[in-house]
Amino acid sequence: MTRHGRRLEETTLTVWQVVELARHASRPYSLDYIRRLAPDFIELHGDRISADDPALVAGVGTWHGRTTVFLGHQKGRSLKERVARNWGMMHPEGYRKALRLAHHAAKFGFPIISLIDTPGAYPGAGAEERGIAAAIARAIMEWFRIPVPIVAAVIGEGGSGGALGMGVADRVIMLENSIYSVASPEAAASIVWRDNSRKVEAAEQLQLTSRDLLAMGVVEEVVPEPEGGAHMDFDAAARVLDEALFRHAQPLLAQPADVLLQHRYERFRYIDSLIHAEPHFGPKID
Amino acid sequence: MQLAKVQHEVRMAGAKLPPIALPTNCPGCGVSLDPETLRKHAYVCECGHHFRLGADAWIILLADRGSWHERWGDVRSHDLLNWKVPKPYQATIDQLADEGLNEAVRTGTCTLGGRPIWLAAFDFRFVGGTLSIVAGERLARGMEQAAASGLPYLLVSASGGARMQEGVLALMQMAKVNAAVGRLHSSGVPFFSVLTDPTFGGTAASLALLADINIAEPGAAIGFTGPRVIKQATYADLPAGFQSAEFQLARGQVDMVVIRTELRRLLAHLLEMYP
Repeated sequence: MTRHGRRLEETTLTVWQVVELARHASRPYSLDYIRRLAPDFIELHGDRISADDPALVAGVGTWHGRTTVFLGHQKGRSLKERVARNWGMMHPEGYRKALRLAHHAAKFGFPIISLIDTPGAYPGAGAEERGIAAAIARAIMEWFRIPVPIVAAVIGEGGSGGALGMGVADRVIMLENSIYSVASPEAAASIVWRDNSRKVEAAEQLQLTSRDLLAMGVVEEVVPEPEGGAHMDFDAAARVLDEALFRHAQPLLAQPADVLLQHRYERFRYIDSLIHAEPHFGPKID
Repeated sequence: MQLAKVQHEVRMAGAKLPPIALPTNCPGCGVSLDPETLRKHAYVCECGHHFRLGADAWIILLADRGSWHERWGDVRSHDLLNWKVPKPYQATIDQLADEGLNEAVRTGTCTLGGRPIWLAAFDFRFVGGTLSIVAGERLARGMEQAAASGLPYLLVSASGGARMQEGVLALMQMAKVNAAVGRLHSSGVPFFSVLTDPTFGGTAASLALLADINIAEPGAAIGFTGPRVIKQATYADLPAGFQSAEFQLARGQVDMVVIRTELRRLLAHLLEMYP
């Protein structure tokens, strides 16, 4: 599966076990990876309009000898930090902060690494009042215009539009025990069954594991995690992620901007072409 | 409301609107409804309540008579993920097709007040107007062609968001469509969006709010997360009118709230101002 590093093996985990690993409270979060990828990381704050969204960390660091913009959803470790980070659920200000840093990267020609780990955008009244729908919409549209390489990695939960708002990139990779879904299993169960306790069945039908997404052609690579999961060895998990991110970023760094943007357009414009060729490739329930 | 004007507008648009499923009494004012009178008034009650229209009705309402040329109507959804419970997805879409519905988005070319345009209309009756691979494909192709041919793009939305039964591929339609929205804007063609009740989730968070001019119907609910989920997640008490068109106007997300019977005249005028 991967050309370097540990080979991705068949999994014996159930879909729900993968969901629980993706949400594991000891799992490395964005800052755990960023500080290992770029030890000189400097965090930058604010959307320059009204606020700083702590659910998204952003900043610059030296990565493989090159100044790089890092963005990542950040969950909290302690209860206090979880509240402060809003469980990694961004408000509109977060998407504006991300775009501000994207334009910053474009100005200086810095590549962008985006780490995705969110249950979704914040489903609260304040986010609605300040235009979360339009903020995500604008972010998704603008990513297609940022003329520097972008590599995204889902490191835990890739929840719905809140994740995709940070997930338009030239390459998208996933950690082995991460998930990426149209809605959280709970939300999907609530929509389809009107009963969010049907989350396990929903998760099984959604095809949301890293292996499912690789098979659908939605992500380029699944990055193997240390035995037992990324939380067992932060350093080893970060090393493998670093290697995979750089392997994907390297060819992009040499591409002219117009080629880069055209390929990014085509990546998403024809993202469903594989499944049309081969429907029913991953049946789980009969 | 000026009913005489309403009749004139609807007649000008083309053929009669199709019958729609209506309650006995208006949810806005409680008056007992006469379907035939309502149909002549574009399904707007005298109290101002706007009943939801399907894509077929929107096409009749907005396209000049005989000008509608549907595109990619033969591209149909099918069950790609083998979705079985609580209801097989294939059975859901087959049943809707038997009822004469053709996906959550229909698109094509027409003229409006004599001006050639691209028109795309969501249909909430088809799995809640949800964004699917086929819906996304019809939207993206239409926008690409509008950009290439220089024709204005008109969108009428009514959608619950992305379609669960197509999984992450439905989510990816937001990116697919917004890639095309960006190119539509770069091409310089005008893009007008009419947001109707309800427009939520992945549709609100992709193309619906990104137009040059966003127009909402009175009372339409527009937002990202639906009120039921907000209450579940945050235990918040939401005030009356939360996420209404008027709420979104006050918060800067839409340019205007326009009664349906005035819409055609407004769009015809805009198409003259943005050639």
